[in-house]
Amino acid sequence: MKNNNRAPLPGHLAGLEPLSRRGFLRASVLAGAALTSGCASLFGRKDAPETLQYYSLKPDEVDVITRLTEIMLPTERYGLPSSTTVVPTVKNIDIMAQRFPEQTRELLGLGIWVFNNRPMMSFKFKKFTSLSDAKALEYVNAMQEGAFFERGLMTTLKALIALNYWRDERTWPGLEYHGPVTETWGVRRLGNAPLPRA
Amino acid sequence: MSQVKWQASGLQVHQASDVTSEHIALEADVVVVGSGAGGAVTAYELARMGKRVIVLEAGPYVPSQAFTEDFTESLHALYQDKGGQANSSGDLLVLQGACVGGSTVVNGCVCFRTPDFILQDWQRDFGLSELTEAELAPYFDEVEQNLSVHDNGEHEIARHGQVIRAGANKLGWSVKPLRRNIRQCGLTGHCLSGCKTERKQSMLVTYLPWAQAHGARIYSDTRVEKVVTEGGVASGVEAVVTRHDGTVAATMTVKAPRVVLAAGAVQTPVLLLKSGLANRSGLVGKNFACHPSLLVAGRYPEPIHPWRGAMLGVHVDEFMHPDKGGFILEDGGFGLVEMTMLAEPGTGKPFMEYMENARYLAGLVTLIHDHNVGAIEWDGERKAINYQLSDADFPSMKRAIKAAAKLHLASGATEVYVPASDKRVIRSEADIDLQVDSLENDPQHLRMVSYHPQGTCHMGADPDHSVVKANGETHDVPGLYVADASLLPTSIIVNPQITVYALATRIARHMS
Ligand SMILES: Cc1cc2nc3c(=O)[nH]c(=O)nc-3n(C[C@H](O)[C@H](O)[C@H](O)COP(=O)(O)OP(=O)(O)OC[C@H]3O[C@@H](n4cnc5c(N)ncnc54)[C@H](O)[C@@H]3O)c2cc1C
Repeated sequence: MKNNNRAPLPGHLAGLEPLSRRGFLRASVLAGAALTSGCASLFGRKDAPETLQYYSLKPDEVDVITRLTEIMLPTERYGLPSSTTVVPTVKNIDIMAQRFPEQTRELLGLGIWVFNNRPMMSFKFKKFTSLSDAKALEYVNAMQEGAFFERGLMTTLKALIALNYWRDERTWPGLEYHGPVTETWGVRRLGNAPLPRA
Repeated sequence: MSQVKWQASGLQVHQASDVTSEHIALEADVVVVGSGAGGAVTAYELARMGKRVIVLEAGPYVPSQAFTEDFTESLHALYQDKGGQANSSGDLLVLQGACVGGSTVVNGCVCFRTPDFILQDWQRDFGLSELTEAELAPYFDEVEQNLSVHDNGEHEIARHGQVIRAGANKLGWSVKPLRRNIRQCGLTGHCLSGCKTERKQSMLVTYLPWAQAHGARIYSDTRVEKVVTEGGVASGVEAVVTRHDGTVAATMTVKAPRVVLAAGAVQTPVLLLKSGLANRSGLVGKNFACHPSLLVAGRYPEPIHPWRGAMLGVHVDEFMHPDKGGFILEDGGFGLVEMTMLAEPGTGKPFMEYMENARYLAGLVTLIHDHNVGAIEWDGERKAINYQLSDADFPSMKRAIKAAAKLHLASGATEVYVPASDKRVIRSEADIDLQVDSLENDPQHLRMVSYHPQGTCHMGADPDHSVVKANGETHDVPGLYVADASLLPTSIIVNPQITVYALATRIARHMS
């Protein structure tokens, strides 16, 4: 019996599928090597938020995801808990990524790398992390309207961030979302249905 | 016949954690692969006729009390590929349950009989002359009664259903309460994470306990890898029992003169392809259809709280017949996580405003009558779902989005969000064509979900042009049956569970 050579991607990462299918995996190895061999400073690295420890995401990936979270979820203006300092969105992603099989984790790393480094004439070949707020937003919007794999990548990264912010119950009261209710409401269990009458 | 021993709650399931030997060898009259809609019904029908039945289920046994009502967790615990099953280009999430009870555990409870015009197509195009409305009616009657199927009562039509119904009435469109298989709905809105209080009449609390009461044995964590034949006739299966940490607990063989494949429309063809069986027509895995669905959300001036109340209340069947559009619209409740994944209101400020106003949103789920253009493939190592919305179906998809937008606006919505990869918001009737006509049928442009994979081992009279006979037996291998959604020769537009239950009942009766 053979094992699947690549584990399926979690649903919210499905948009990364084109990356794996377009022979980008080899690039991921290169990207990974670049990141671990000291090139990280080239990518405009900032300090990771607060003192959170990350076990799965690399520091540069934390930077990219943190920056995208800031651009995507400017929560404070809306009276919702901060998406970077109160709700640990990036940390939640890190925890989630720990549960990914290795190849999925690699693909996500590749996706983040491509997203940050995608050279675009209109952005003077800058990395995403070094774009101003306005330019960063423009970049995201351009990616969403871009080529097939750009759209998939953007959909995925946005889903990953949104999911890991709104799954935190601190975000619920502000939206009047009730979360799990059966126990709170004390809904009685019915058990198995009786056998049908012959 | 052995004594009937029904238990009031839960199931006795042989799990990987119970395994003590490296190899398990079993014998039965019938081995059923998969415990979802088709598998559970077949197991019960045959067990109650006195057959020794073994059910093998690849997924875990998760008792109802363990359901968390957290959708992200549920995807991980209850769904195929931990909720990550997608087509090759990643723009269609193909959701299926993978646990004891299969997709019926996580489904939305909506119940429709196969429309007669679909049955007529099957009779005309596939030689399935036996499958008439009159022939199937008693089977539908029976399963509907067994599963407490009823029209939603007024209290089961949540606010999101009420506004949609009012809008449809205003437009003069036919709108009806949905029928659902539920007893005393708890109105928690968490159907897709499994029903914690056993009100959803899924296989987990109906046909499986009933099959067990009649002596059927159920093995979870047990993935069938191969169907075995002797002299060209089905003789059993080979399987692997896997612990939850991914390590192999045991191998298993089951000897049985009857093998029923009910692993769902993706895994059943994979199993046949792996086994090199029943593929004289070359059609195993082909003919895949899936009702690619969209969630079209609309924002209302007054609070809706789309997560409150029964998840699905009413449907618009005005456009159901292919001549009128070939789609239906169902009002759909949803939680925050689903909301973030399925719509694209823009990035930054517009996204925050969309979420901030989550309680003002109502959803419409579109289901289209897609053509069977997809294929499930097995390359020796992994399965692939090759499905791209066909150009022939794209106009249907656009018509469904337009109708959903029109309906939302008539219902009082001030904004409608097109579920595309880029931001498209409709604020008036004049915007509808503008925003929808410019959509392109390109991969990753629409955010599609399929809840209804079908068609990959379809029935038909001609062995060169179909995989399975009308009685469920494969044309090529005596004793090898298919009894799941793979059977359906064309997509049926409506939610398919009742069709699967009825066909599986009929197949089991013919087998016995
Ligand atoms: C989220 C969701 C919502 C839905 N909502 C509705 C609805 O409201 N109304 C409706 O009519 N339909 C709905 N459906 C669809 C409906 O549930 C399915 O059409 C129906 O259950 C299909 O039955 P099946 O027997 O083909 O497969 P399933 O019910 O999916 O069962 C297949 C089982 O086989 C198991 N299996 C797979 N491979 C193997 C193997 N190799 N060995 C052993 N076991 C295996 C799987 O783990 C699974 O448990 C929904 C589905 C989903 C996922």
